[in-house]
Amino acid sequence: MAGNAVQRQTVLSLRETIARIEDRGLQGCARAVAKAADPAGFRRGKEEASRPEVLPLGVPKLDEVLNGGLPFGGMMEIRNAETRDAGAAVGFVAALAALYQRQKKESGCLAPVLWISQTLAAREAGQPYAPGLKAYGLDVQRFLFVSARTVKDALWIAETALSVPVFAAVVLEIRGNPASLALSESRRLHVRARAGGVPLLVFRQAGEEEASSAFFRFQVKPAPAGERPLPDGSVLCGSIGHPVFHLLVEKSRLQASDDIFLEWNAHDRRFYALDERWNAALQTNDEPTDPVDPLSASAGRSHRAHSLGRLLAFPRAS
Amino acid sequence: MRLVALDTVAERVGLKRGQGAAEARAMCPSLDVIAFDPAADQAFLEALADWCDRYTPLVALDGKDGLFLDITGCAHLHGGEKALVSDVLSRLFSLGVEARATVSSAAGLSWAATRYGDADVIAPGDGDPLLAPLPVAALRLPAETAAALERVGLKQIGDLLEAPRAPLARRFGSILLLRLDQARGLEEEPLSPRLPVPSFSAERRLAEPLQDEEYILELTRHLARDVRSSLERHGEGGRLFELLLFRVDGRVFRVRAHAAVPLNDAIRIAALFRERLQAVHDDLDAGYGFEIVRLSVLRSERLDPAQQDFSGVPDESQPLAAFVDKVSARFGPDCLMQATLMESHLPERAGGFAAVTDVAAILGSPPLGERAFPENRPLRIFAHPEPVEATAEVPEGAPRSFNWRKTRYRVARAEGPERVAAEWWIDGEGHPTRDYFRIEDQEGRRFWLFREGLYGRETASPRWFMHGVFA
Repeated sequence: MAGNAVQRQTVLSLRETIARIEDRGLQGCARAVAKAADPAGFRRGKEEASRPEVLPLGVPKLDEVLNGGLPFGGMMEIRNAETRDAGAAVGFVAALAALYQRQKKESGCLAPVLWISQTLAAREAGQPYAPGLKAYGLDVQRFLFVSARTVKDALWIAETALSVPVFAAVVLEIRGNPASLALSESRRLHVRARAGGVPLLVFRQAGEEEASSAFFRFQVKPAPAGERPLPDGSVLCGSIGHPVFHLLVEKSRLQASDDIFLEWNAHDRRFYALDERWNAALQTNDEPTDPVDPLSASAGRSHRAHSLGRLLAFPRAS
Repeated sequence: MRLVALDTVAERVGLKRGQGAAEARAMCPSLDVIAFDPAADQAFLEALADWCDRYTPLVALDGKDGLFLDITGCAHLHGGEKALVSDVLSRLFSLGVEARATVSSAAGLSWAATRYGDADVIAPGDGDPLLAPLPVAALRLPAETAAALERVGLKQIGDLLEAPRAPLARRFGSILLLRLDQARGLEEEPLSPRLPVPSFSAERRLAEPLQDEEYILELTRHLARDVRSSLERHGEGGRLFELLLFRVDGRVFRVRAHAAVPLNDAIRIAALFRERLQAVHDDLDAGYGFEIVRLSVLRSERLDPAQQDFSGVPDESQPLAAFVDKVSARFGPDCLMQATLMESHLPERAGGFAAVTDVAAILGSPPLGERAFPENRPLRIFAHPEPVEATAEVPEGAPRSFNWRKTRYRVARAEGPERVAAEWWIDGEGHPTRDYFRIEDQEGRRFWLFREGLYGRETASPRWFMHGVFA
């Protein structure tokens, strides 16, 4: 009987350790740290208690996958498969940065966004363009851009930036899967970002799926945009409206059930879930009439049947 | 080949400047002739001028082979004028440099005495008797004036001192009397120092040379504390700092560090140099160590002391400024950039990036109005538009398909054209007009293409370019 209790105690403490590593609350087990008063005997500051834990995106399907919304602090990874799809992924990352910036602004401080880009990445997929970023909803007066020659320089700048609590978001744009950004480095950045309370968006341009410490990993694919709405409620035929992203959730706490299609409205600065019919249309119309060189099968595609469970430990892609 | 300069041994043998090298070799077979390299000589003289910075910040170059040091108010730091001259000469001798030096109250007198006399320190008032026996060339006169004086028999400066001034001026020009008065100390002669004199500086002379970077940084922090007190007295903060490291063998290293906001905090100043020294690590060869370390403030700005309030809310600009300093100290000031918007029709001119200059503006300036710039601009543009092969149904219309980076894209939808004419007031006339199209291909990628040149009017076969990528 006593042995059983000891075993249970061990299991419980192990669970607690895992929960602490994964930074998530264990149900039915209040954290001892949170309740303790500070040494002076005062309750913790109100602003700390009332600070929102996550930034909801307003799209129920995505918020569910994200466990409520985007976290403040910590690392998220966004990747795209091919360089020519980089536009969509840039758009998604910039939209997230704009959301963080807007949230900061609403809470009363104008915070800059830092975009760290490997020089090679900027050369392949283009340089950020200030008028475009402005039209997209970012505050360009508070947009800092760093062009780092090597991945190592970029990592150094990112780490330095995460310890400064002024940025609304830090974007680290890396091309491919360099050996100098492996699991241990991503773990280090993740811990630093969580400690500093700064969201770090790792944007892996034309990269493979690779094990990392990020909370989430999305693959972003291009998707046809909607059409421009007219004042009478109809749409302007043949026009290109708000950008649409095709999101594949590759890593999250909850398994994503389906592909997610999002539309970014720069004017409202928020995402809208796209109608299901888009989804259906894309599923049936998968084969283009003039196929551009066929893509390699995406490993994390969630509507594909998995033969032997889910692949969790990826080999090094670099 | 002719000889331009000689060392003491060669002069003793009897060689002359301007002599042919072959003739000189015949006179002295063991002669070592080195090709004349004016640039290297100049560089060496400037290195020596740097080295002389240890005595006074006011060092001026004088022609090809001389230096003026303004030691007003500095001599007592080195044990008096005589001790200073002997210190300079003995140190230069140990560096292998043959040098002569004279201290006097006038630059012209020092020049004359160094090159033609043998006194090392001339007290004020002793100038005229010393000048009298020297040749007129000692007055730094143009060659033809000196030759004209020689011709009329005025060979020594003493002859000029006795002669009436007005006829001299009429015959030989005002330059003669100016030089004469400068040598006698009657006319002020400004020296133009090579480098601006720093407004604040602190230095440490070390008995034991320093090699380790950690110690240099530690010393920098001490120096920064010294500088801080004088900065605070003037209510200023430094924007540009310079660390001078005098190596024992005479080389001088200058390491500069910019600060994003006026600084007077010793720890922040030392932190700037921590990153700078990391960045210049390979170029900074400590060798046998540094004997003098000096920290100067080259540019300073007003810094109002700010009191921290009781709410404990930290000033946000400080950590950002520290970050900007850290990054630009390590990777150069152009590494960290800020988005800028310009009023221009040409897309590549309308938006760009510039080095961060004003940290306070990043956090404080109000956001721009909504309607100041055109919508429908891509998130990214290519620095150099990439040529594509496009086929269009009608000459002036949008493309049906195009080849970009060896891949074929079929256009599903297109918006445009948006016609952008060249800016003739900058580029001049004759630049082709561009027609921009927003394009979505069949898989949903959105691109920004333009056709350069108008059909018929500007060109017969316009070319297509990929300029940007939309979200």
